[in-house]
Amino acid sequence: MIEIKNLTKKFGKNMVLNNVNVKINKGEKVVIIGPSGSGKSTLLRCMNLLETPTSGNIFFEGQDITDKKCDINKIRQKMGMVFQNFNLFPHLTVIENITLAPIKLNLQTKGEAEENAKKLLERIGLLDKKNVYPGKLSGGQKQRIAIVRSLAMNPDIMLFDEPTSALDPEMIGEVLSLMKDLAQEGMTMVVVTHEMGFAKNVANRLVFVDQGQILEETSPQEFFSNPKHERSKEFLSKVLYNV
Amino acid sequence: MDNLINSINKTFIVDGRYKLFLSGIKNTIFIAFFAAIIGITIGLIVAIIKISAKNNKKLILIDKICGLYVTVIRGTPVVVQLLIMYFAIFVNVNNSVLVAIITFGINSGAYVAEIARAGIDSVDKGQMEAGLSLGLNRNKTMFFIVLPQAFKNILPALGNEFISLLKETAVAGYVPIIDLTKAGDIIRTRTYESTPLYFVAICYLIMVVGLTTVQKIVERRLSESDRN
Repeated sequence: MIEIKNLTKKFGKNMVLNNVNVKINKGEKVVIIGPSGSGKSTLLRCMNLLETPTSGNIFFEGQDITDKKCDINKIRQKMGMVFQNFNLFPHLTVIENITLAPIKLNLQTKGEAEENAKKLLERIGLLDKKNVYPGKLSGGQKQRIAIVRSLAMNPDIMLFDEPTSALDPEMIGEVLSLMKDLAQEGMTMVVVTHEMGFAKNVANRLVFVDQGQILEETSPQEFFSNPKHERSKEFLSKVLYNV
Repeated sequence: MDNLINSINKTFIVDGRYKLFLSGIKNTIFIAFFAAIIGITIGLIVAIIKISAKNNKKLILIDKICGLYVTVIRGTPVVVQLLIMYFAIFVNVNNSVLVAIITFGINSGAYVAEIARAGIDSVDKGQMEAGLSLGLNRNKTMFFIVLPQAFKNILPALGNEFISLLKETAVAGYVPIIDLTKAGDIIRTRTYESTPLYFVAICYLIMVVGLTTVQKIVERRLSESDRN
């Protein structure tokens, strides 16, 4: 579904991604982990061109999205993204947040979009919040709404950029369980996270990134029980106290 | 008491002088209103160009022109701009009110541009990214997501700008326009009294208080989403 070839990204002289190759197949749940500053978020953000690669190619459903002729806005409609800081639109109510893109892109009428939004809100148990502004919601509620806002576009793939890192501990569970549900329904997912439990239980494949390179790409079971790379072992020894 | 009545009579009634005041007020409001519209339009366009130019090298020339515009307009007095416009650039245009509207509009645009740029910058970058990630293009995201939030942030500064603009139109009398100030001054030269000037001051004060009230109402409306 997504194929990344020889991707390099520099910020000025700072090399953030160095010749990265990854492939994500339909239905896969790929978790990207690594120390902070390793380039994992940048890798994810390159997938929908929120960061423009310095060199390399990214193919989405066979189309080279780094090609200047490619209409990236059309591609992004098929790729949902969830951010660490939710990025809900604070000046719009919950239901307006969800329906804005489908309506403004003329994909659905206002009525259809609202019906769809209500179904999505009902699913996450927040239908009663449809007319409130994001400022009144808890972090966990905001993130779940951000997720269904992406789902309202019926994406083929969902990208998660540290979706639980800005949450209070007791709210992490509700977001992760929604993500697990999505995974079970067969959504293709790429998740940058520090939640090792989620990585272990949900991922099909685990990508370990450090200093702009992919050091290991393996099954989570294999990675947690038998890490091959020196850096992986060191990383695991630091994060695994809580699994 | 007789003095006061006599004074009011001379200022407003004799020779139908109230008509001069009325047409002065009309001109002042007319100039300020349309100049504000031109100012917002120019200001928004310049601000968006300046912000877009940051990630788009093709816009560098037009960005430089916008920078020059802001520098020149903010660096010269509006009276001088008005005189140049009327006596040099638009020397063939007889409609002096129109020239004043254009002058004050262009002048206000430079200030609005700086205010709007700061306002757009004040909106979190994540908002643009969220809009883009949903498949909206830059323009739509700017229009539906960033600008409404920026507008809320800049409303106090924008209100100030329009209050200044309204008062600055008092120099319109340097070219053949009878605005409120000029009307008061003409009547003063006929009555040899200060009453017309006090009246002019009160008129401005009322208009400014009116503007401030409108601004407060709009601010309250827009802050609906802030209540936690």
